[in-house]
Amino acid sequence: MGFGQFLAAPEIKLKISTYRDVFQNTAQESSRFGEEYEDLSAIIKLDPKDISKLSIKEGDTVIVKNAFGKVVVVARRSEYEEGHPGIAYMVNSPWSNALVPEETGGTGVPKFKNFEVTAQGAKSEKVTGIKEIF
Amino acid sequence: MPLFLFLNVGDDLSEYYVCTGCALLCDDIEVETEDNKLTRVHAACLKGVARMKACSDPMECRVDGEKADIDSAIAKAAAILKNAKNPLIFGHGNSSSQAQKVAIGLARKTGAYIDDTSSFCQGPIVEAIVQDEFKTCTLDDIRHKADVIIFWGADPSNSHPRHLSRYSYFPRGKERQRGWEEDRTAISIDVRKSDTASICKDHRFYQIPMGEDAQFMEALLSALSGKVPKTSFDFDKKRILELANVLKKAKFGVICVGLGLVYSLEELEPLFKLMEKLNEVSNFHIMPMVGQYNMRGFNQNLFAETGYINRLKFNAETGETEHGAKYSVVEALRNRSVDAALVIGSDPLSSLPLSVARYLAEIPLITIDPCQSLTATRSTVTIPCALGGVESGGTAVRMDGVEIELKKIVETDNLSDEEILTRITEAI
Repeated sequence: MGFGQFLAAPEIKLKISTYRDVFQNTAQESSRFGEEYEDLSAIIKLDPKDISKLSIKEGDTVIVKNAFGKVVVVARRSEYEEGHPGIAYMVNSPWSNALVPEETGGTGVPKFKNFEVTAQGAKSEKVTGIKEIF
Repeated sequence: MPLFLFLNVGDDLSEYYVCTGCALLCDDIEVETEDNKLTRVHAACLKGVARMKACSDPMECRVDGEKADIDSAIAKAAAILKNAKNPLIFGHGNSSSQAQKVAIGLARKTGAYIDDTSSFCQGPIVEAIVQDEFKTCTLDDIRHKADVIIFWGADPSNSHPRHLSRYSYFPRGKERQRGWEEDRTAISIDVRKSDTASICKDHRFYQIPMGEDAQFMEALLSALSGKVPKTSFDFDKKRILELANVLKKAKFGVICVGLGLVYSLEELEPLFKLMEKLNEVSNFHIMPMVGQYNMRGFNQNLFAETGYINRLKFNAETGETEHGAKYSVVEALRNRSVDAALVIGSDPLSSLPLSVARYLAEIPLITIDPCQSLTATRSTVTIPCALGGVESGGTAVRMDGVEIELKKIVETDNLSDEEILTRITEAI
């Protein structure tokens, strides 16, 4: 047991944009309750600098939350050449939708592709299962 | 004897079917079947193959969590809708036009709210197209003529995998015989370097900050008008001017509008202005990147009957309609103004913000779908239906407005959603 476990994991603010992924979408067509769908959905793509700020390694779990919800997902390093610290990407899924704000300013259209969250290392807490999201 | 006679190519693969994986409705699909299941699907994309081969966890017919026969499930569904004061009928994008028309009739009869996924995605663009406010074209026009193709907030490599290969970039067309190598310029305007952005040659990917699409449009408009393009995020002016030049020279241009752009624009005015300018100096069309295979069909069918594409409430007595954001699925659930819901071919508990969708689990809920979904797990009644375009036929409307006929490929014991909706309507 190291001293580190007594320190609070650093928390950072992120802006999230969601995207589509054909492999995840294919897994969804086969089964929304399958392992593959969870593996391809319950992820957050982070800039390497944000991974460092969170004091985590790629593949660790992170708690992502805001006033609307909270999920534990796996941190992945985004493969974009250009840096994007402070911005993270989540594939459109029940995990991202747990965090999309309900406010629409009366338009009826939630901000699926532009919302804020905080992220914090989850200290090996397990990924939120699809049935636990609800 | 020449060798090709021995190859028997295509002997067993002579009939073409339509893929219902997305609103491209690819009509060049060949299949092999065994015991009323598709064992092989040829020509479709990864997602299309998965859709057509059917899910591994089909939905069961249940009432109050217990297994039920179809007759009692239909009776229960009818009772729920009859007893509700303000039911919601939602989904429709994965149904044939025939099923959609029955659903519209059911909404009229029960005085229901009726809405579909377009309400929180491509609705504004499709609405403007059906009202003739945007110049548009068909996917076939794009294949044969398009030389400048802008993917704006759109990533078809992931959302519509065969868009690039069948229509917009790679193919030889009647007036584009040299395909992508020489005849077509692909441009991506997006907040991130998507898979589609990475095929755009010669630095034709324009990365802009989140939410700044309208400002980039304004800058492009300036450049097209011979003014200096300015942005608050200091986008390289030379690059915008050079982009404007490419657009001016287009013989047949297209803006493929993705969700990234739809969500970023607070109103369509900047896009109207840009299109107006582009059509002064050049020739440009709008293509909505519609997701679900018959979302546009629903929008057109509802428009034909009511003059609105979505977000409606019928008055059961007078048949009159009320329309607006207040009647959208999101606002109706947020404001708890509905007291029962029928969901057809959709999974709002997955696709809506959870804080909005959560209310669905508190009211009597009916789901009609071929596959198990999160919404189904919270439903009072679940009725499995035939898989559209595989186990049942009908017609659907492609993203460009072209009607496509869907053929039934294999038999199933499940009724089609059209039959289920007809029986529910009759039972009320």
